[in-house]
Amino acid sequence: MPDQKAPAVDVRNLSKHYGDFVALHDVNVTIAAGEYFVLLGPSGGGKTTLLRTIGGFHKPTKGEILLNGRSVGHLPPDKRPTTMVFQAYALFPHMTVTQNVGYGLKVAGLPKDKVSEKVDYALEQVGLSQFTHRKPHELSGGQQQRVQLARAIVLDRDILLLDEPLAALDAQLRKDMCLELKHLQEKVGITFVHVTHNQEEAMTVADRIALIANGNLVECGNARDIYRAPEKAFTASFVGENNMLSGKVSAVNGTSVIVDVAGSKLTVDKRGLAVNEGQEVKLSIRSECVALDLVNGTHAPSDGISITGSFDESVYLGLTTSHLVRLPDGTEMVSRVIADVDDSLPEAGAPIRLTWKSSDIRLHVD
Amino acid sequence: MSNPLTDMADGDTFPVGLQKKAPLRERLVPWAFRAPLVFMLLFFAFPMAMTVVFSVFERTMFWMEPGFTLFSYENFFFSARLVNFLNSMKYSVISVVICFAFGFPIAVFVRKSIPQIAQHRVVLLFILPFMVSEIIRVFALRPVLQRNGLINTTLLDLGIIDEPITALLYTHTGVVIGEVLSFLPFIVFSGFLAMEAVPKFIFEVCDDLGVGPWRRFKDVILPLAAPGIFAGSVFIFVNGLGVALLPNILGGAGAVNAGLIATQAITALDFPLAMAVSAIMMTTLMTLLWVGHRLFDLTKILTPLS
Amino acid sequence: MNDYENILLHRLKWTYLLLVVLTLMTPVIYVMYISFNANGFGANEYAFTLEFYGLIFSDELLIGALRWTLMLAVVVTLIAIPMALLAAKYYKAADNKLFPVFLLLAPLFVPPDILGSALLVFFKNLNLTFVWLGDQLGMSLFDSWFRLSFLTATIGLIIYTIPYSFVVILITMGRYHPEQTEAARACGANGWRAFWDIEFPQIRAGVFSACAFTVILVFNEYTRTSLLKGGFDTFTTVLISQMLNTGMSGQSYAMSALVSFVAIAAIGSIIIFTMLRAETLSRVARAKAEPVMS
Repeated sequence: MPDQKAPAVDVRNLSKHYGDFVALHDVNVTIAAGEYFVLLGPSGGGKTTLLRTIGGFHKPTKGEILLNGRSVGHLPPDKRPTTMVFQAYALFPHMTVTQNVGYGLKVAGLPKDKVSEKVDYALEQVGLSQFTHRKPHELSGGQQQRVQLARAIVLDRDILLLDEPLAALDAQLRKDMCLELKHLQEKVGITFVHVTHNQEEAMTVADRIALIANGNLVECGNARDIYRAPEKAFTASFVGENNMLSGKVSAVNGTSVIVDVAGSKLTVDKRGLAVNEGQEVKLSIRSECVALDLVNGTHAPSDGISITGSFDESVYLGLTTSHLVRLPDGTEMVSRVIADVDDSLPEAGAPIRLTWKSSDIRLHVD
Repeated sequence: MSNPLTDMADGDTFPVGLQKKAPLRERLVPWAFRAPLVFMLLFFAFPMAMTVVFSVFERTMFWMEPGFTLFSYENFFFSARLVNFLNSMKYSVISVVICFAFGFPIAVFVRKSIPQIAQHRVVLLFILPFMVSEIIRVFALRPVLQRNGLINTTLLDLGIIDEPITALLYTHTGVVIGEVLSFLPFIVFSGFLAMEAVPKFIFEVCDDLGVGPWRRFKDVILPLAAPGIFAGSVFIFVNGLGVALLPNILGGAGAVNAGLIATQAITALDFPLAMAVSAIMMTTLMTLLWVGHRLFDLTKILTPLS
Repeated sequence: MNDYENILLHRLKWTYLLLVVLTLMTPVIYVMYISFNANGFGANEYAFTLEFYGLIFSDELLIGALRWTLMLAVVVTLIAIPMALLAAKYYKAADNKLFPVFLLLAPLFVPPDILGSALLVFFKNLNLTFVWLGDQLGMSLFDSWFRLSFLTATIGLIIYTIPYSFVVILITMGRYHPEQTEAARACGANGWRAFWDIEFPQIRAGVFSACAFTVILVFNEYTRTSLLKGGFDTFTTVLISQMLNTGMSGQSYAMSALVSFVAIAAIGSIIIFTMLRAETLSRVARAKAEPVMS
């Protein structure tokens, strides 16, 4: 009897080895029922392996997976409460749209009229009611993915897995389909687990995001927390445009820490982490939180929230302009602004000061 | 108690609620996929290996008796048979070279100059002669190569020669002609597969750099296509040695190859000798394939297919 | 062909190719030509006749042999094709690919006389062992399992034809996208249904080609069949033994021509069929390339 309060997906100590290669290492993650959960990460990092193991396409080397509270062991995909949407080539080319969507129901042995009814309803939900008789090659990329969605939701399973479903679409279409996916999930109400390497896609659709890289679950949280206050250095370097600074702890004062970075002393909140003097740490700050201080360029800062460097160049990107500044230790820092800067820019190599709010800089120990 | 399904290291948490053992049907399924290999092991690999064992048995009137004697090998190596066998090897090699010279350029041409979609169709043309029984094709050469056969009557009618050429049939030339015509399609197939390893842009690059066709062949095409060429050559060589009907029908008196020795031995009820010849052939073949694999990695031939 | 290539050279190469094919086919075509000549080979006058073909179909022995050949072809195809399919799937999923490749393609490199001899001796010994075993255990249940018979011929021919089917099926499977099987599994189909509903319709053409090849190969085969068949005769073994013993008669020409006709017709129809299919597919692909409203 499936436990109604149990999470939809519960991954415990999951490891997957291919010979010597470790694809997943001791992953633990819990996905609540009805949640839109995103597995985000760089290519080859293990997010697709994790998704496919949940779906039953890979056998775990260690650990287990519970779906709706029940361990699925080595059940094949057709016996799990999951269904899957693939990146491409997954529609059956020799069947029409209707036949594609109805295939799972046919296999389950449903009577023809019932199948018809459900298929029509599913196609209506994805907005493809006029395309019933087309074959997959007669549809556009976006339409094909919608057929896959219809084929998946018609089965009334609890968990829908999506393996980079938008990767084969062009940028504009991807943005539109993102919102459609989000709305569909809200309408249908089942759990979606969505794999992508595209950060914007992840932020648009997700209730919560898990960052998977090098076979490890790096961090897990909702979009806002991941973006604004990442715990791990890797998260900061992957999500958003963060400046990553390396330094050594020179003093620990209660709730804050002073870190030596490129000749300046920076104050940063300890955030409950355990740090010692002399420890090598990383700091991150979003480039849009960094301001260029032209006026006090020649003064050495001592407020703990600014740093000096020399100006490199500015890159105009339309919406934003990025100012690139080289720090004494060779690191490049970026200050991103929205306003068009009409004022004259400093010369290359001119000393410049970057400053920010104390709440914007974050400490990472790993 | 270990569960064969979960295949976990010792000391790990035992999964909750896992079914104890997969139903019998599920466990039998992987064996269905192994069945063809088991079949081949039982009825191909094993019998071929056993030829070595049988070759040292003693010959009896109608069959043979388990024992150990090298009589059959002595019989083979210290008789005229060995000379004939080595001769047939020589002619097989000549056939391979001729097949390669005439057939490989076709494979290159098809790959290089014919659009992708049409390539398979053109190669299918070469399946046509191959699908007509090999034996019939060999027999069919007699009326063509004979004294009063097609070639001679045509040449005589055209006035190119005054006397019919007798050297075409019942000679080593006849055997070589038979081998070439029988096996040329194979060098086209294997060459075609082998050329898959040579990307199309190579030709353009060579043109750009001013590399002539001979150098292009020697330095670029040959190394890349080597596995396929080697496999095709081994095929022709081994079949030239092993198809009894070639020297039987087209060869002169006393023309033999390994295949003919073996079948004659069987007709004469000298089974250990037949086995000895088979064992020698198998060893030659295995050695060639092993050498080729070490030199070229023959599994590369199938990469276009996987 | 690019813009810079010499048109004349291209035509020359094409001509060479076609000449080679023609040369390879010449003996066969010549035999067909002779088979219609009432005066046989070497005669000065040519008199068209179908009498030799008529002789074939009125010969009891030959019709019997034909029946055996057809049975052999059907049985071998029914066993070898599914085996090749299973082997192809195994190969695709295997880590160590060398082992299955070697085992499945090695028969190509073993000449027919050698394979036939080795299997003949093997089967006879196997049968003797079974008989001995039966004597020891006091039963004759498996006395004649492996005497030379239809079964042994079938086994030998399966070994002979499986490399060809294996390669053809692998080539066809190469165009299939495995995501479709996974999608079918995700929809609730088990392994067998996913194969039958989704994969097989797409590889059907290759499987049928492999079937046609196997039938033709079995029909044409002589050496292995004659060594392993035991008591019955096949069309080709009758033909060849006639030709070996009494030389080529008018009837043998007709028989050879008949077998060749059938083979050429079969391959010709496959070529035409694939050409037609290629036309439809490219038409479809062209339609796909046209913009469709999103």
